[in-house]
Amino acid sequence: MNTRTQRILYIDTRRCMGCRACETVCKLENDLPAGPRYTMVTEVETGEGFTEKLNFLPVPCQHCGDAPCVRACPTGAIYKRADGIVLTDGSRCIGCHECLLACPFGVPQFGANGRMTKCTMCVHRIDEGALPACAANCPAEAILCDTVENVSRILRERYGASASYGPFAAELQEAGR
Amino acid sequence: MSEAYRDIPWRNHEDLDRYAVKQNVPVWIGGKKVTADRVVKTCCPHNCYDTCGELVYVKDGKVIKIEGDPDHPITKGHLCLKGFANVQKINSPDRVKYPMLRMGERGEGKFRRISWEEAMDWMVEKIRSIQTAYGPEAILEYCYSGNREHMAKAVAGRLWNLMGASKLVGSFCLLSGVAGSVGTVGSQYTMDPQVWSQHAQTLFLVGRNCTATNPHIFPFLYRLKERGGKLIVVDPCATGVAAKADIHIRPRPGTDGALALGLIHWIVENGWEDRAFIAEKTTGFEELKEYVKTWTPEYTEKVTTVPAAQIREVAEILAKTDTMFETGYGQQRYSNGHQVQQALACLAAVCGSFGKPSANYDCISGMAFPGVTGFADGAAVSAPKGADIPKTRLVNIAAVARAIHEAKEPPIKGVISYRGGLISQQPDVDYTIEAVKSLDMFVTIEQFMTDDTDYADLVLPACHYLEQYGVHPSYWHNWNQVLVPAVQPPYECVPDIEIFAELGRRLGYEAYFPKDMTGLDWCRLLIGGQCDLDKAVSPNGPVRHTENWCPKVPYETFDTPSGKFEFHSSVLEERGKRFPGHYDPLPVYYEPDESIAATPELAEKYPLNIISQHPSFRTHSQYYNLPWIKEIEGPARVFLSKKDAADRGIADGDKVRIFNDRGELTDIVARVGIRLKPGVAEMSSGMWVKLGGSVNKLTKLVPAGPRDILAEDGILREYDPLLDGNTGSYFNTLVQIEKMEQEGQA
Repeated sequence: MNTRTQRILYIDTRRCMGCRACETVCKLENDLPAGPRYTMVTEVETGEGFTEKLNFLPVPCQHCGDAPCVRACPTGAIYKRADGIVLTDGSRCIGCHECLLACPFGVPQFGANGRMTKCTMCVHRIDEGALPACAANCPAEAILCDTVENVSRILRERYGASASYGPFAAELQEAGR
Repeated sequence: MSEAYRDIPWRNHEDLDRYAVKQNVPVWIGGKKVTADRVVKTCCPHNCYDTCGELVYVKDGKVIKIEGDPDHPITKGHLCLKGFANVQKINSPDRVKYPMLRMGERGEGKFRRISWEEAMDWMVEKIRSIQTAYGPEAILEYCYSGNREHMAKAVAGRLWNLMGASKLVGSFCLLSGVAGSVGTVGSQYTMDPQVWSQHAQTLFLVGRNCTATNPHIFPFLYRLKERGGKLIVVDPCATGVAAKADIHIRPRPGTDGALALGLIHWIVENGWEDRAFIAEKTTGFEELKEYVKTWTPEYTEKVTTVPAAQIREVAEILAKTDTMFETGYGQQRYSNGHQVQQALACLAAVCGSFGKPSANYDCISGMAFPGVTGFADGAAVSAPKGADIPKTRLVNIAAVARAIHEAKEPPIKGVISYRGGLISQQPDVDYTIEAVKSLDMFVTIEQFMTDDTDYADLVLPACHYLEQYGVHPSYWHNWNQVLVPAVQPPYECVPDIEIFAELGRRLGYEAYFPKDMTGLDWCRLLIGGQCDLDKAVSPNGPVRHTENWCPKVPYETFDTPSGKFEFHSSVLEERGKRFPGHYDPLPVYYEPDESIAATPELAEKYPLNIISQHPSFRTHSQYYNLPWIKEIEGPARVFLSKKDAADRGIADGDKVRIFNDRGELTDIVARVGIRLKPGVAEMSSGMWVKLGGSVNKLTKLVPAGPRDILAEDGILREYDPLLDGNTGSYFNTLVQIEKMEQEGQA
């Protein structure tokens, strides 16, 4: 797989502010009851004193380049599409939870029927040229879904030109930008 | 066995296809394409800054999907988590489906089903008997912002006026701050975020947890930051927006007004004030300058706990850069709430932050109270021509429980409640419940069986906002979309407007509630005179308010008595000569009613100041009962600092007891971390009393000023919503927290 053209769901954590709209828009889009959660915003506290900070980390399926769940699945129920989206064939799942043990992010969910289900990157929408529901809706415009190349371009537009803000602020300031 | 639902002959059935933006629209549900019968445009009226534009997909008479309206210039097709949960809410099997009459004692929650015919007869008979025994003023409505649109309240107002009932006035949210703001600034406006995000250098954001209450500000705020602008946030809590701030100021709760004075002091001390603006457009500056002399950074630190160095740093930024002031409402939920806003307005004026695209001041848009400004013709609806409308007493909602307890000649004996959780949202739950128990008639119009319905004599099945009309211009942005019903009400639910119209007809006012008048007709009567209504009705909308109501760059002039910004407020001074309270012409700081400084003996017993923010999961008590929301929110929890937790032997996740002299909560999960500084605890407002998490078991009924309405037991002859206040001082609440014995321990 060409990682530059792989489609990814990128969370701009500088922007996520913890509103959790991605969680219910996902429920509605995918017709999910309480139970399986395709994405979940975790709140992480970092720092001490004046550097104390709340961080918000939505965790949908990462659709990993080399997905451990795909390798862990004993029945081949999990597979990666040519564009990088990791999907599950529920009819082949035997509910063994091997994928959950392999996933570093705790993504696989198990509904009432015991079979694995998870974020599909809203593949039904992607196939018609639309964004996944969470990315289309995010009020903070923190969820990006595109190829690696394009996501990286959007981030450069957001932060690259700014001297006072963003991950390279110090370097840019030094460079006199 | 499915229950049968009866037709309600007096309901106004309309063809709702007329509001379709499109018909036979494909839409995805659960990964499959479904064809919706129609998609309708409306907006969310749940008392939030954003008032989002919505597209509602309907199939077989049911709402199957909601999306943000991509054509809305502010909300841009994005909704919050509650927006989507409305699909679960409106289709919930737990809806109140038909009228129900109480069987057991108040509080037991036992009811039997009755018909609308019986319900109407019961109400008419009860109202008549109360009127006969005590007089017409013994009846009172209770209505707040659960659905904050203005139309149903105005139609109900027509009925109360005709009946000569006591009239509910005021607010327990934000009118204290409005008094402080109107007193100095005059009429209230907000500047479009598209403008300041492109021009300001600094955004000074006070008391607003935008994640929960204003999520659509974020793209604008990021735009400002990506231009190199600075974000300064004032909040005792480490909120989501504070996490994005360049500087986060964390004052002791209730001292934001002191902080503003300290900032003014340092600006003036260094001669950084905007002298041209002050000379040309303000009055009373010398007096303010004299007053802030004592508010040195060191003294301000003593009061607020904000480090003097931070005060100096921030004062310089505010004064030397083009600063946009976006003030929220959290800072005014203390008994000094009016002073806080007065001081913040003065701070903005000292910085010259008025009337410029790059530097302006937002407190609240006058569109928050369209009947007061004249955008809505409240009188046309509520006081129809030719009707004999008696002048009645007024009851202030910020002290409604006190009024019910204390009213005499006549007492308050009948309350009809809708769109507000009286028991869960008013401070001091036990006191409120006692008040409700003293009534001869308590009717609630509700979507679910809430804290209020448990104490009601009669429960009527209410409509979701997607089942009725409404008018709710945002109080932050300047765009308007009229609410239209996307679907017909299910079961035996009836839109609020139609309930009041039918009750009016049955009480003998047929002439004033014509049967063929639709919700849209009422909306036209309310705001049709001041805007082109049809342009804001689905399939059209939203439309920007016209420049005369909402200027693009407001505050180039001021409409105070002097025509200038008034550091010395003449209107507050005059008002103070007529009414009891704290009408100080200058923003003179005083401590909140209950605090470690104001009540040190009490603080020895109850050393923690608990504040109750609005959570993003709910609109106060609404949405709490939905599976999607419960799953995200989890059990009731209280946030504590690491130090306060350690001092009490509390670990993250422990169950704790929270208590003071007014009440206690048990089995609350402690969340220990960085969100709060020592001495402060936070527990979100709106969790239901009967489910054990209502912070209002602990809060006190002491409304913020400026007017002291408790001196009058909340019962008034005259009231000015722009100058009198009030606000519930929910946040000046002292408590103690202790770890609960875990099961299996000795």
